[in-house]
Amino acid sequence: MARVSGLVRTGIVALSLWAAGALAPSSAQMTKDGLNPTGANPTANSVNEEFLFKQEPKIGGRVSIPDQKSANLIQPQGREYRAFREDYLPWIGGIAVLGILGLLATFFLLRGRIPLDDPGPDTGKKILRFNSFERFAHWMTATCFIILSLSGLNYIFGKRLLMPLIGPEAFGALAQWAKYAHLYLAWPFMLGIAIMLVVWVRDNIPEKLDWEWIKAGGGLVGRGHPHARRFNAGQKVVFWMVVGFGAAMSVTGLVMMFPFSVTDINGMQVTQVIHSLIGVVFIAGILAHIYIGSIGMEGAYDAMGSGKVDLGWAKSHHDLWVEEQQAKTASGPQVGKRPVSPHQVPAE
Amino acid sequence: MARMKFLCDADRCIECNACVTACKNEHEVPWGINRRRVVTLNDGKPGERSVSMACMHCTDAPCAAVCPVNCFYTTADAVVLHSKDICIGCGYCFYACPFGAPQYPKVGNFGSRGKMDKCTYCAGGPEADLSTVEYEKYGSNRLAEGKLPLCAEMCSTKALLAGDGEMIAQIYKERVVKRGYGSGAWGWKTAYRETVAI
Amino acid sequence: MKVFLVSVIAAVALAVAASFLLNENQKFAYEAYATSGARVSHPGSNLVGPQWSGNAGGAEHKSHGS
Repeated sequence: MARVSGLVRTGIVALSLWAAGALAPSSAQMTKDGLNPTGANPTANSVNEEFLFKQEPKIGGRVSIPDQKSANLIQPQGREYRAFREDYLPWIGGIAVLGILGLLATFFLLRGRIPLDDPGPDTGKKILRFNSFERFAHWMTATCFIILSLSGLNYIFGKRLLMPLIGPEAFGALAQWAKYAHLYLAWPFMLGIAIMLVVWVRDNIPEKLDWEWIKAGGGLVGRGHPHARRFNAGQKVVFWMVVGFGAAMSVTGLVMMFPFSVTDINGMQVTQVIHSLIGVVFIAGILAHIYIGSIGMEGAYDAMGSGKVDLGWAKSHHDLWVEEQQAKTASGPQVGKRPVSPHQVPAE
Repeated sequence: MARMKFLCDADRCIECNACVTACKNEHEVPWGINRRRVVTLNDGKPGERSVSMACMHCTDAPCAAVCPVNCFYTTADAVVLHSKDICIGCGYCFYACPFGAPQYPKVGNFGSRGKMDKCTYCAGGPEADLSTVEYEKYGSNRLAEGKLPLCAEMCSTKALLAGDGEMIAQIYKERVVKRGYGSGAWGWKTAYRETVAI
Repeated sequence: MKVFLVSVIAAVALAVAASFLLNENQKFAYEAYATSGARVSHPGSNLVGPQWSGNAGGAEHKSHGS
């Protein structure tokens, strides 16, 4: 359709040019150099930039070299990509990362570290919360994530913050290694995401209990401890964020890792925009996760640290899960019970 | 100082690809990398035109802006050059470049594509002018010898013009006035935010 | 702590393995964009090929690789 209208437009221009040529006093022009002796305008049908841009957002043609990317003559979308990457992304990224750090600091100042409740009869006893395979998957993903996020932020902020400090040569070498790390650590990261999805998905199906947990303000804002199974609504949000964003980052990352294998230049630009936007939001989300799992709440780190948590803590934070566990084993806390195989999840 | 530009007069270009060959030979550009290329529009149809395209050495170049390691710099002649020592081969400049100028020695994964290579306007790189190191990394430096880019200098129809922007625009304007037509300076609006008014 | 160390080692090992696999599938532009009729040896990833003599002005380097 665009082509037809383009032809029509070209025709109209051709006609008007021809008419102008016919009406103009031609005796003087006939002697001019380069004028076609037949009187026809040699450029009547010729393509020009303006017309082509009216038909398509970019101009492409035919080339005789095998690299078909080079058949693209002009793609002004590069300007838009540049505007996003240089004018918007640093602000979005900066606000996302610094904003969440500010929020967490404010929250910490207001609420302080959420303490263990009054020691009850079960305080001091331990219950296995995450077996070694679960912790392995978590820490593998976490290590990769930290390197990936730092090397990812380096693409945006490195030249603005680090380069003036260490000089261009040192920064170039560092960025080169950061890029290798970003590319290769993506693979264990993707594996870790897949393992965590398989291992934890059944404990993370949203249910009615989650809504009540949210209404009660969780253990974070509210004072009490609403009922929760193995994962409360907040943890489920983190789980689905990691799985969802992780999958999105993996797909867009793979598209960029094998450039032009699935999409063209504009597709590559859009992919990069998506990857960077999700990336900075992902980093902000994980910063909140790190906060609540470490300094934000007393007793929470043990779950991923040693794998065993205080029974008193577990009873107040995940009461229904503890009940399920104790009903299953009928022998109280599973101290010292080793996981049999990676596929068996003792916490179930 | 001059403000160096390229201008391709599409009404003169006959798609002989001599500019491509000259460029490849002058700088010993390896197979698979094309600093300059000729794109044919409306191939085989009435009104077919060919345009020789390379790096346009844009004003406020997008490649330089998006580079995560700031390896680009602009010379006094407004030629956009880059340092292969700092380049990490991420490929962002190719996404930002409106003219598809940046090229990479390897085509596969983003991580190890090698150092970017592009048209240097026959002006070498950041190394000392006319040094062996400069030649190895960026090709010859004709500008330092007082010569213009070889592609334009040897264009048989003088379709491809190189030199100071105002000067080549003037040459083109005179041509257009004399012959009565012209399809404009391809890419100038995108590269320099200006067109050659006929 | 032991689990953490194992996970870090596993991540690095997988990354190294991935780097080998990816570099195995990496293609030079001269391989990817050469047609069957082209006789391309190893022009190298830089401008001048491996037979480069270092003589920029001389005719020596002009003769190879064509």
